[in-house]
Amino acid sequence: MQLDSKAPGGPLPEKWDKHLFELKLVNPANKRKFEIIVVGTGLAGGSASATLAELGYNVKTFCIQDSPRRAHSIAAQGGINAAKNYSNDGDSIRRLFYDTIKGGDYRSREANVYRLAQVSNNIIDQCVAQGVPFAREYGGLLANRSFGGAQVSRTFYARGQTGQQLLIGAYSALSRQIAVGKVTMFTRRDMLDLVLVNGKARGIVTRNLVNGSIETHVADAVVLATGGYGNTFYLSTNAMASNVSAAFNAYKKGAFFANPCYTQIHPTCIPVHGTYQSKLTLMSESLRNDGRVWVPKNPGDKRHPGQIPESERDYYLENKYPSFGNLVPRDVASRNAKLQCDLGKGVGETGLAVYLDFQDAIRRDGKAVIAKKYGNLFQMYEKITADNPYETPMMIYPAVHYTMGGLWVDYNLMSTIPGLFVLGEANFSDHGANRLGASALMQGLADGYFVIPYTIGGYLAGTKLEKVSADDTAFKAAVEAVEMRIKKMLSIGGKRTVDDFHRQLGNIMWEYCGMARTDNGLAKAKDLIADLQVEFWENVLVSGSGSQFNQSLEKAGRVADFIEFGKLMVTDAMARKESCGGHFNEDYQTEENEAKRDDENFCHVAAWEYAGDENEPNFHKEALHFENVELTQRSYK
Amino acid sequence: MTQQNSSKNINLTLKVWRQVGPNVKGRLETYQANHISTDMSFLEMLDVVNEELILNHRDPIAFDHDCREGICGMCGAMVNGRAHGPEKGTTLCQLHMRHFSDQDTVIIEPWRSRAFRIIKDLVVDRSAFDKIIQAGGYISVSAGGTPDANVIPVPQEAAEKAMDAAACIGCGACVASCPNASAMLFVGAKVSHLALLPQGIPEAAIRALAMVKKMDDCGFGNCTNETECEAECPKEISITNIARLNREYIKAGLL
Amino acid sequence: MNWLADVIGSSIGKKMLMALTGLGFCVFLFGHLAGNMTIYGGKDAFNSYAEHLHSLGPLLTVAEIGLLLFATVHVLSGTLLFLGNLKARPQRYAMKKSAGGRTVGSRTMPYTGFLVLLFVVFHLMNFHFVDKTNTTIFQIVNNAFSDPIYVGIYVAAMIMVGIHVSHGFWSAFQTLGANHPKYMPFIKGLSIGFSLIVGMGFGFLPIYFLFLS
Repeated sequence: MQLDSKAPGGPLPEKWDKHLFELKLVNPANKRKFEIIVVGTGLAGGSASATLAELGYNVKTFCIQDSPRRAHSIAAQGGINAAKNYSNDGDSIRRLFYDTIKGGDYRSREANVYRLAQVSNNIIDQCVAQGVPFAREYGGLLANRSFGGAQVSRTFYARGQTGQQLLIGAYSALSRQIAVGKVTMFTRRDMLDLVLVNGKARGIVTRNLVNGSIETHVADAVVLATGGYGNTFYLSTNAMASNVSAAFNAYKKGAFFANPCYTQIHPTCIPVHGTYQSKLTLMSESLRNDGRVWVPKNPGDKRHPGQIPESERDYYLENKYPSFGNLVPRDVASRNAKLQCDLGKGVGETGLAVYLDFQDAIRRDGKAVIAKKYGNLFQMYEKITADNPYETPMMIYPAVHYTMGGLWVDYNLMSTIPGLFVLGEANFSDHGANRLGASALMQGLADGYFVIPYTIGGYLAGTKLEKVSADDTAFKAAVEAVEMRIKKMLSIGGKRTVDDFHRQLGNIMWEYCGMARTDNGLAKAKDLIADLQVEFWENVLVSGSGSQFNQSLEKAGRVADFIEFGKLMVTDAMARKESCGGHFNEDYQTEENEAKRDDENFCHVAAWEYAGDENEPNFHKEALHFENVELTQRSYK
Repeated sequence: MTQQNSSKNINLTLKVWRQVGPNVKGRLETYQANHISTDMSFLEMLDVVNEELILNHRDPIAFDHDCREGICGMCGAMVNGRAHGPEKGTTLCQLHMRHFSDQDTVIIEPWRSRAFRIIKDLVVDRSAFDKIIQAGGYISVSAGGTPDANVIPVPQEAAEKAMDAAACIGCGACVASCPNASAMLFVGAKVSHLALLPQGIPEAAIRALAMVKKMDDCGFGNCTNETECEAECPKEISITNIARLNREYIKAGLL
Repeated sequence: MNWLADVIGSSIGKKMLMALTGLGFCVFLFGHLAGNMTIYGGKDAFNSYAEHLHSLGPLLTVAEIGLLLFATVHVLSGTLLFLGNLKARPQRYAMKKSAGGRTVGSRTMPYTGFLVLLFVVFHLMNFHFVDKTNTTIFQIVNNAFSDPIYVGIYVAAMIMVGIHVSHGFWSAFQTLGANHPKYMPFIKGLSIGFSLIVGMGFGFLPIYFLFLS
């Protein structure tokens, strides 16, 4: 199958406009005849549901949590980018586009990224109109800050809770549509399968998490906005319920999965402190604006940080990257932290941490200024670690945070299955091999508010959709398969809990497919995961029954998918014989230990097609063409 | 040592509310939680207990949780009679075991309110909050067609106050801790967030009336200014927001 | 008038009624206390104050009807709120602790309110619905407060009133929307001050009489 990105031709700035004109429209009176399913209520799913309903479509929206207000977009702290140039510092749509392409290590699609930069400004307008309480200057205009290494101030923020505020904006728009009956909301539902009729996505199978009933829902198109797969690593900054199952089920039904090996490891997280640990907590990257990262110069130096004199500290980011210093992109910062710890210079009890020190900033600006900027973050840090960052340097270590890979989509955000659209973190489209800070919120909302409402119309207007009902064999077969699987999991009655398996999977992934990978390690991981998969289906212990509220069962299904998906990640990582962005293979690095891209052979999207449980997936390639930027080796020196 | 705090292990006796379903009688059951590291979060402690229950072929304790970083609002339970436990400004997932001592007895109960039906054990149905938001907790703007974001200046103080109110995570601790199971802090926070911003003013009157009506219909109690909600709110939202709701309601209803 | 019924019938509406009538009673208490102070001026001063009051004639009747109306509204809406609150949590907690928000006043509002209501009836039977021919109000009061049991009841009741007002006063402002970080501390202070003045002002009178006689 030839992958067609459907990116329109013509000059970059005109592509989206041209495409909008070329897309077929659905007559307003006809919109109400269409049913659309949206799975997920984060920024992408929430905004898409609301906007599609505003246009007149009948929307059925699903979420795992008890309320659409809880999706993990809510945890984003730092901010949202837009090319408003309110700071008058030379920002533009083109610059945001360029920074995003470059930050993604030239592994994303030009047309998509440019569109993202274009609609970024509309997002801010939209959110302000909804009542998002962005930070303001004294004059009442919007405040901006520089974030994640950007050299312009283009980040809009609401304290350290930008994701929460944007999500509440989308949730309120969604609530308005629920009230008028255009959206039917299904909470506490797990999507367990995608149903295809005549090759088109026509519905889903869900499990009602309250009473365990298996339900079918029919629609004319299905939109997945189910987030990323970071929890494959067990420990990540993702929420506990974040999972890959919906996307993975779609993959098994024929949607290609693109670049699964691209995982973003965020540099500023609170280090792991025990085996019982259930998740990792991110400290906003904005801390790096004022905090200085260092480790002791001498390996094994276990003195209290206060007792280590300046001359024996290694401010390794500042030394190595004089022009960006502590503000290098996430992948670079993370990798260097690992490097220092590998050299034995890590700090803390586990030796897997580096210092993030605010002493100089406090000396320079005063405690009050620092408290105003980061007070809530310091408080959060102290709550978790019982250390006071005003006095002792914070300890940080990288953790899995975001996944750039996802289901392959074309310019319309449609997957390789007609009628299946994928938004937000669940798709692969805009961040290439590495995502810049404050860009995830931008993408989620861009997809939901300003892309899908138009492109889905093009599909619905231009496609002949047969009449389908839940009695069709495809639905019955899907329900049967789902029920069989649940029955099987419950009947194994083994000796290991689901969490136990998940933890082991996480260890394998982190060890061999984490921040730094090697060809050998990946090969080993593949075997280990295969063994784990076999053991899971023989030795897992799931409590309770299928017809009740059963969190053990919910997890079991998700972990079973994570294990299988882990194999796909490793397969992709093995196939990409280069280093780029969130995929760093030690076998492909420069002499200075920087990622070594291979643009000649790997300037493409790797899209994987499911070929049965027993077979390796089929590889498909979407070549990336760069007409507007020159591919350079990223350098932050 | 660089760590100032030192972790240790403690043993606890838990008394946990177990209830199979909404219409079934529940009761407190006793469990031992042994070798609990004081670095654990409260929910991680429950994870450990649950792992053991599962391995012993017993039903694990059902509890809601998701982000485990204090922002999604999914978790919450009464711990020794306090919503989200004894620490101020803390959600249950951010409560760490270092605040407990060896041999403590810990009583864990679900949020209790007529408006929050128990689904199982510590899991309650908070959809009443969603219904209240659906009644008017929004500004009616559709995507597209909005003016440039800087067209309406918002005084910094108003934006800050709006943000204070908007920090609500919808966890339900206000209702759970209120002696009257009132939802006034939740509603007050949302009405305040939107009434403080110029964008929210056109709908302010309808919003206040509709949201209060829905709140009453959902079966929440009446505020008697006990201020327990403010004291227990994990985001420390002030009851000045309730006063603002009262003002908005009076304005909307009588003027 | 549907809109008015809707507003008043809502939870906030009922509380507004509580607040307004409650503040009305605070004003009344203040006036009552000021009047009672004439007792310290001696028998004649007190009797002339009473006479002066009675000379108001129809105005007094209007005021009395007003008070009765206020009392009815305050008691009725208070009862409705109390019952609604009981219903809002059908299953109580096995363990419930205060996070520090509640005060003695707020915690006991319905109960102090009920006791004060009983007291008011008792008080009116003692001093209002009595045969006042051939005697003066001072005499009646003097007689009553020569009995230590009466004095005990009155002092206890005044402590109840003080406790009730200590929460009720600031709470009324909060309910009417008057809460601002700038002046709320003042209102809260005033609330405590007022409850002390009312409690001690009224409460000391019976003791004064007891020792006088």
